[in-house]
Amino acid sequence: MKENVQLISKKDMITFIDALIYDRTYEVVGVKKHRERYAYGILDSAEELCLDHDVTILPPKKYFLPQYEHLMKYSLEKPFQVQKELEEKPRIIIGMHPYDIIALQQSDLVYLDAQQDNFYKKRRENTVIIGADIQKISERSFAASMKTNVTSTGYDLMLTNIGRNYAVTVGTEKGTVLLQKYATTKTAAATDIKKIKTVRDTVAKKYKRRVKLDKNDWPKALADNYNHALWEERSDVCMECSSCTMVCPTCYCYDVRDESTLNLKEGERVRTWDGCLLKDFTKIGSGEIFREDVKERYRHRFYRKGNYLPNRYGFVACVGCGRCGIACLPDIADPCDVFNELASFGRSDDTARYFIKQPSEVAEKGVIHVPRSATITRVQAMTDTETMYELELDDKKPLGHKPGQFIELSIFGVGEAPFGVSSPPADAPTFEIVVRKVGNVTSRLSQMKAGDKVGIRGPFGNGFDPKMFEGKNIIFTSGGLGLVPMRSLIKYVLDPRYRKNYKNIIILYGATRPNKVMFMDEIDEWKKVEGVETQLTVDKCEDGQCWTGCIGLITTLFPKVDMKKFDAKNTAAVVVGPPIMYKFVIKCLQTMGIPDDQIVVSLERRMKCGVGKCGHCQINGIYTCKEGPVFVYKDIMNLPEAFE
Amino acid sequence: MKQKPRVAVFDFADCEGCELEIVDLEEELLDLIDIVDIVSFREAMKEHSDAYDIAIIEGSIMRPMDEQRLLRIRSKAKILVALGSCAAIGGVNKIRNQWMPDDVMKEVYGDANLKGNELFNVGKTKALNEVVPVDYYIHGCPIDREDFKRIITALALGKKPEVIRYPVCVECKKNENVCQFELGRFCLGPITRAGCKAICPTNNSPCDGCRGLVRKAETDCVKEVLERYHLTYEDIRRKCTMYNYGREECQVDEE
Repeated sequence: MKENVQLISKKDMITFIDALIYDRTYEVVGVKKHRERYAYGILDSAEELCLDHDVTILPPKKYFLPQYEHLMKYSLEKPFQVQKELEEKPRIIIGMHPYDIIALQQSDLVYLDAQQDNFYKKRRENTVIIGADIQKISERSFAASMKTNVTSTGYDLMLTNIGRNYAVTVGTEKGTVLLQKYATTKTAAATDIKKIKTVRDTVAKKYKRRVKLDKNDWPKALADNYNHALWEERSDVCMECSSCTMVCPTCYCYDVRDESTLNLKEGERVRTWDGCLLKDFTKIGSGEIFREDVKERYRHRFYRKGNYLPNRYGFVACVGCGRCGIACLPDIADPCDVFNELASFGRSDDTARYFIKQPSEVAEKGVIHVPRSATITRVQAMTDTETMYELELDDKKPLGHKPGQFIELSIFGVGEAPFGVSSPPADAPTFEIVVRKVGNVTSRLSQMKAGDKVGIRGPFGNGFDPKMFEGKNIIFTSGGLGLVPMRSLIKYVLDPRYRKNYKNIIILYGATRPNKVMFMDEIDEWKKVEGVETQLTVDKCEDGQCWTGCIGLITTLFPKVDMKKFDAKNTAAVVVGPPIMYKFVIKCLQTMGIPDDQIVVSLERRMKCGVGKCGHCQINGIYTCKEGPVFVYKDIMNLPEAFE
Repeated sequence: MKQKPRVAVFDFADCEGCELEIVDLEEELLDLIDIVDIVSFREAMKEHSDAYDIAIIEGSIMRPMDEQRLLRIRSKAKILVALGSCAAIGGVNKIRNQWMPDDVMKEVYGDANLKGNELFNVGKTKALNEVVPVDYYIHGCPIDREDFKRIITALALGKKPEVIRYPVCVECKKNENVCQFELGRFCLGPITRAGCKAICPTNNSPCDGCRGLVRKAETDCVKEVLERYHLTYEDIRRKCTMYNYGREECQVDEE
């Protein structure tokens, strides 16, 4: 198709913008002067629009993923009622620079993938983008060397200042219609079209800051320098304020929380920007923080931009706008500086891998983040701290989970938390979870009883693949709460219908104290099944506690495994437990000769959205909620953050 | 329905501005008394009862008699909440800790003979948690009403309010402000606890640190920033005097 370029005089441009504003069909936003800087805001008249701006404080992502966004309204009086938001007026954004348009195209790939974000999608469809070619370069920008200073896609109209007129490159039918309805234009002559290129080239030459390392080489340069001293040196002066991620057009991690009205009658579930530089970003209910050291968080941001996302989606998630460089007070956030420093290093001898597996095919049903209603049908105390809940989905459909998958459980006003499903796959609409009282959701849950309503999202993630164990012996090793998701798989393989598919089975289970042992009755049943053996241990047995099993850490059980029955060539192992347990148990299994690709683990991280968007559960380049929580050990053994 | 939690509001050395913020909830005050029973609140009502579950306390502790009173409140309350800077971190009342109590008395009351008068038996200013354990903090000078609502609704719902451990910059950036440093001003936002929606920088005034510090003033990153903006440790110490005197090196992690 031939490029459609129109001309519009500067006077007619003002008329065009004013016509858009006065028509009131659209909310018209554009770049405006904002004190000493520029910012996008609602235009009251065309005069406010600045098309010669250098860079806005915040990128236009605020119009697609707002700083504070109300996802849904909930009632605290009715048992379970969710009201979805929200009609917004169509919007026109005027003045978007090419790098911001490219950043928006990148977030399209993330937010409009197999698991679409309906809120984002609606805004995206409702927005007309009128881009503007760069006239003035921000002093920190290095867009030219990122090849993001011009774009030929992603806009409905693109404005280029070519002297007396604006050249308007039409990108879409939406743009054509807009021009026809509101503007006086004439078709551009070949000389005018040439001028567009001249203007762009002239500006491109004026960039003072350039990245020496081609962006296509960023993933490799990072892969080679994971343990480089640079990360620690630079992060030594990090303020941990996450200003760099707030102002970044390609940072889109978010948090979700409940805000109830003061009368506690209703409330809103709010999505807000989060930042991976903040200490609590990876914090889970039990208080554990997975990237506690600022160096790790600082490095994570660059790896996400230059390695993880390029590997996953095929784009380098930096567009060279330079906003982070302006926002960072100690001035350590600027990728241009970091990659120029890396360019001069060459490679160190890291062997880290940032493996990416295919995402799980199970996506959230319905609208993202909106839970389904479920009823607590049975509550059973397991220990003094653990309780089992049987839940039934109110639509009476089965959950449809695989062993090892997890759900997000909502209690409105309190929040949402992930729980591994403990019951095996079933045709019934009921399923079981086991909860330890540690955080807000679990504390509230502990006060609830049969008949109470909760919200359920999921199932999420990659579960165990029972086929992988067919024709093999299985060693199950679990510590503490690890038995909860593992029970789903144990009950599946012990099911009389499937038992013949598996050979000898041994279940090793460790708890801290005798009174913390769960599922004692079931374990007694399990060991009655032919070819099944169970071995239990407790870390310690206080005076007066009754215990006939082993005393010691979980690893003390391994000498009890009969190597003749569990020959290394034909045995697989499943390990689920607290983070500290893996290293030691895996060593035991390796000593027995179990190959790394026959060891399966399930990891815990802060799984918040469940669909690989919010960013909290990332282990290097993988999303625990999507590619995990169940992994084959071999796949992640070289992933630096997995077992540290 | 479950019995509503009984709340008592008390004050010590303060301006009562934070209590005024509660009263200023206006029609929402009706919502508040819908979810809690206010049994004592000197600034807003005549009645008083000593039977309460939650004590919300404004003001800092100056005198032995204040300490005794605070201990009595603590012994009765299941949950004790510090309201505002004076209670939470000592706030402006700590400015006078730069001098000896006797010198302060002399400066203010001259040669008046106040010896033996318990009301004037003043020691160093203390925040509540220097005398009794504090369960939750509502920070600010004055408190932010939204922040107050967030914490009260959490307590009424029986959940632990989220403790904010990140600096004001996060909220300031979300508000799309031009950085105060860029405007040539010295702002404590980068080391001050957020939760105020960055109200001061958003209204073009640098942060004075009223919500307490999330980072020690003498750390490498702060030094680096001070240097870049031609400031010294003495400058930050002086700026911290207003709300954080004696706490410049006290990273607020006690919550």
